[in-house]
Amino acid sequence: MITITFDRVTRSFGGKPLFDSLDAKIRGGKITAVTGPNGSGKSTFLRLAGHLLRPDSGQVSVKCDDAELRRADYRDRLGIVTPELRFYPRLTAYENMTFFLGLRGKTLTTDTYRDLLKRVGLDETAVRGKFAGAFSTGMRQRLKFAVLLASGADVWLLDEPAANLDAAGRAMILREARQAAASGAVVLWATNDAGEEEKADEVIRLGGNPARRS
Amino acid sequence: MKLSVWAGIRLVVHKEITAGLRFRAAWTAMLMFAVTSLACLSLALQGRDPGPVILAALLWILLFFSSFAGADRVFTDEAATGTLEVLKIYGPSQAVLFGKMIYSFGLLFVLACVLVPLYLILLDVTVLDWGLFSAVIFAGLAGIAAAGTLIAALTVGSSVHNGLFSVLMFPVILPVFLPAIGLTQQALTGDGAGLAYLGGIVLYDMILAVAASLLFDYLWYED
Repeated sequence: MITITFDRVTRSFGGKPLFDSLDAKIRGGKITAVTGPNGSGKSTFLRLAGHLLRPDSGQVSVKCDDAELRRADYRDRLGIVTPELRFYPRLTAYENMTFFLGLRGKTLTTDTYRDLLKRVGLDETAVRGKFAGAFSTGMRQRLKFAVLLASGADVWLLDEPAANLDAAGRAMILREARQAAASGAVVLWATNDAGEEEKADEVIRLGGNPARRS
Repeated sequence: MKLSVWAGIRLVVHKEITAGLRFRAAWTAMLMFAVTSLACLSLALQGRDPGPVILAALLWILLFFSSFAGADRVFTDEAATGTLEVLKIYGPSQAVLFGKMIYSFGLLFVLACVLVPLYLILLDVTVLDWGLFSAVIFAGLAGIAAAGTLIAALTVGSSVHNGLFSVLMFPVILPVFLPAIGLTQQALTGDGAGLAYLGGIVLYDMILAVAASLLFDYLWYED
């Protein structure tokens, strides 16, 4: 099982400190919500946890059963859903999924593809032959989830994942996140929604000036 | 199942070709630049023979600057469409690097297939050593593709990407550019005594590819 540890992490942007000596531990098997007002550093926290950003000082270590994961190995186990994430606008949903899953060494069969679309609530006929660039925001969000689910990632970094989704979409995300956590995955969920925060197993609250947490 | 580098490269090349054919900006810009420049040269020369040195230099200037219109886009297009991050998360570094390098080379090769015959016809150039001529173009384009891919990756996050790309590209490609001009001149005159230089270009291409491979892991996995 994977554990992500923040050890006295400091990070500034443009000279303005966002985190000062931040400590946190995120364990697999749980949904951990990261909350705080806008600008409190939720997305930055996720990027630090994913080793997509380096701390100015301190350390973010990722261990799997007490063995430190190398960056490339960790990247292979990472799946993210963020508002900034985009798929190739001139490839179809199927082409995008085949490409990204292929890069993870997974083959996407037609049956798996159909199952995934169904699981995330995408209508197969609505996406057939359509480029991802022509998808609505909600459809794009569901496609991000389809790739995440199929990738078999065991570290989920979700940044406002329910944004732009209807009630069924929000329920789908919670159901899948719960299922992933039950299978031992790390689920780190940045949110401002009190309802989503309530459903998490653990909460990391950011928003000090700069944020500290023990 | 762990993906082999070769399978990853094939996926990246296939994706680049599919996306490239649906978004023609990169290669049409390269072709337009090449054809327009060549037409201007042809009109300016008005049938005069500038000599093999100038003709060889003109060919490489055309190829080099035409490549600028498209070679730096391999990563900037990803950054512009917002797909660079997802590619970083799902794509193994070496597969992405070499996939993009091979695609760049393919793009330059297609460009050369259009540009070189036009150059030979419009500037009334006679090639006496076709073997050397083809080999130099092949090795030179490989160098431009290798250097261009690496420098595009290095400069992608920069706010002055275009300027930085040109400034960094020039000194890196000079060891390919200068012998390539000399060898092309020899191919035009039939003095094919420069095989050592050709070996030098191939060796430099290989050094560029290895250096890019070593450096790219840091670029890809470190922020």
